[in-house]
Amino acid sequence: MIEVNQLTKVFELTKKQRKELATKDTKAIAVDGISFVCKPGRIFSLLGPNGAGKTTTLRILATIFQPSQGTVSICGINTLEQPHLAKRKIGFLTGSTGLYARLTPNELIKYFADLYGVSASDFEKRKAYLYTLLNMHDFQDKRIGKLSTGMKQKVSICRTMIHDPEVVIFDEPTSGLDVITAKNIIQLIQDCKDQGKTVIFSSHIMSEVDLLCDDLAIIHKGKIVYAGEMNAFRAEMQAQNLTAEFIRIIESSTK
Amino acid sequence: MIFNIFKKELIDTLRDKRSVRMMVIIPLLVFPVMLNLILFSTKKIEENQAEKTMHIGLIKDKSNFLTSKLKQLSNNKEKQLLFYKDSLQLINALNAKKIQVALVLESTFEKKLKTFQPARIHLISNDTELGFSDRMNNDLLQIEEQLKKERFQQLKINETTLQPLDIKATNIASSKEMIGKLAGGFLPYIFITFGFMGCMYPAIDLFTGEKERGTLETLLTAPVARWRLLVGKLLVIVVAGLISASCGFLGLFFEIEVFGFTGEPEIATLIHSILSLKFIFSLYLLLIPLIVFIAGLLVPIAIYAKSFKEAQSMIAPLNFVIIIPVMIGFLPGIEYNFATASIPIINIVLATKELIAGTLTIGLMAWSFFVMLSFAALAVLFSYKRFDKENAIL
Repeated sequence: MIEVNQLTKVFELTKKQRKELATKDTKAIAVDGISFVCKPGRIFSLLGPNGAGKTTTLRILATIFQPSQGTVSICGINTLEQPHLAKRKIGFLTGSTGLYARLTPNELIKYFADLYGVSASDFEKRKAYLYTLLNMHDFQDKRIGKLSTGMKQKVSICRTMIHDPEVVIFDEPTSGLDVITAKNIIQLIQDCKDQGKTVIFSSHIMSEVDLLCDDLAIIHKGKIVYAGEMNAFRAEMQAQNLTAEFIRIIESSTK
Repeated sequence: MIFNIFKKELIDTLRDKRSVRMMVIIPLLVFPVMLNLILFSTKKIEENQAEKTMHIGLIKDKSNFLTSKLKQLSNNKEKQLLFYKDSLQLINALNAKKIQVALVLESTFEKKLKTFQPARIHLISNDTELGFSDRMNNDLLQIEEQLKKERFQQLKINETTLQPLDIKATNIASSKEMIGKLAGGFLPYIFITFGFMGCMYPAIDLFTGEKERGTLETLLTAPVARWRLLVGKLLVIVVAGLISASCGFLGLFFEIEVFGFTGEPEIATLIHSILSLKFIFSLYLLLIPLIVFIAGLLVPIAIYAKSFKEAQSMIAPLNFVIIIPVMIGFLPGIEYNFATASIPIINIVLATKELIAGTLTIGLMAWSFFVMLSFAALAVLFSYKRFDKENAIL
């Protein structure tokens, strides 16, 4: 379960950042008082155009960033009060996740298992399960830098799931991937739901959202402009298709 | 946990060819290659110069005395006398590189010699042709010695009567002290230069590189305190710096031992006597906080930079900032005392000089160590502050 309450994130802009963004403002509000709940066994989708605040929100959930205001609770654990305990419950995967090219999958997976405090016996069981599931045995000892994109994505998935997280966060997980690799990710998200995990993913690809999600929230300029169940979203839709409805909601929120 | 991070980062760093090249290969090879190249080329130039026939230009009919003296000295293979009408022709011949040196005697040369006055010889050369004017000077000095002896005999003077003082100089400083004071600064120079070089690439790779490759974000989602991540990475940078500096020493040692760079066996024996286990231990004791300090300075830059290229361009000026105090430590007259022992880097250079000379006092060494350790701690703390900033790490 993820509970987000009145979450706000304000970034202090350095001189360099102000120059890069061509602004005189010393602060940038990335997320502005958003609240939502993601339930176990359901897939929650955070939708929004580029720069809407999706990644910042997910990074706060993953405790990479601290909120300026508001609270986040992961499986009942307040991320501000017990960040490390909360982190143990989370698996985090992004489409742009880099891997250590000079390590082998075996070395990388063991390293992250150690970081997550996975016991030796649990590690062996999880590793055997994931390697079989993802068909990773053939390239487990090859340097990651030598692997194909699809193989690398499998390593990323394995790294995300090695500690058997209760909550899985996907930040634009299929961005930049070919259709076959993207299909594996979609399958993983579906599997996570079937296993009763809490799943949140951000995307701007409506077909993925339509296929996967049970609940959704549309975020624009740091604020939630729509929140509800996917079925209700489909039923209340005023535009001809999901993409058009998504654009309509974004545009009407800016008026 | 820190050990796990350290182990993984060390494996990752040791598999990076660029880091290994800068950390091990270049420091190991730079001294043997550079010094042997210098030795080889110097020897070759000297040999060439010695074998080359020196063409000496003289003015015809005005140099009979000198001609006969030069012929008495000369080996015809090494010298050839060429005669010209006047000074102008001599200069033209020099410019046309037909001759390497020209000798012009003043008009009253022989008269002055006979009347026991100094007689002038004008030695003209083009010194871009290395070594010839020195060779000529040596020949002229030999001739002068002969003439002096002849004058003493003619004037019936005992040579010693013209030597009113018999100065005997005794340097009570041991050879160790002399080496320490004169060349002792060279060791920390090697250490700092190679230490810096060894730290640089791992620092950039472990921070800027991780940012660029997108691995830092993943790492930060793991339930590990940021200070542990920082310490794990910092330790790898320090180890890389120490490996690099040690390889620099090894390269120099190899050069001395195998190629006999010092030439003199006495100096080699002296160097062996300096290189005791106690010396090496004390040296590393002084230098480890220095490398931690360097690593602590590099990390915030590497965290701040957004790309490998940006990090490199930002770090390059830091190299000069660090080398300047090393140069100050080289300067004559800079003594190792409480004041200089309080200035980071300079204190290490001066302490190393004293260490080699065998005159290092425990009190000042402890103070230098404490100062350097404090600065290293401050640099690490500053690194931590940067690493803890959200907008700096992603």
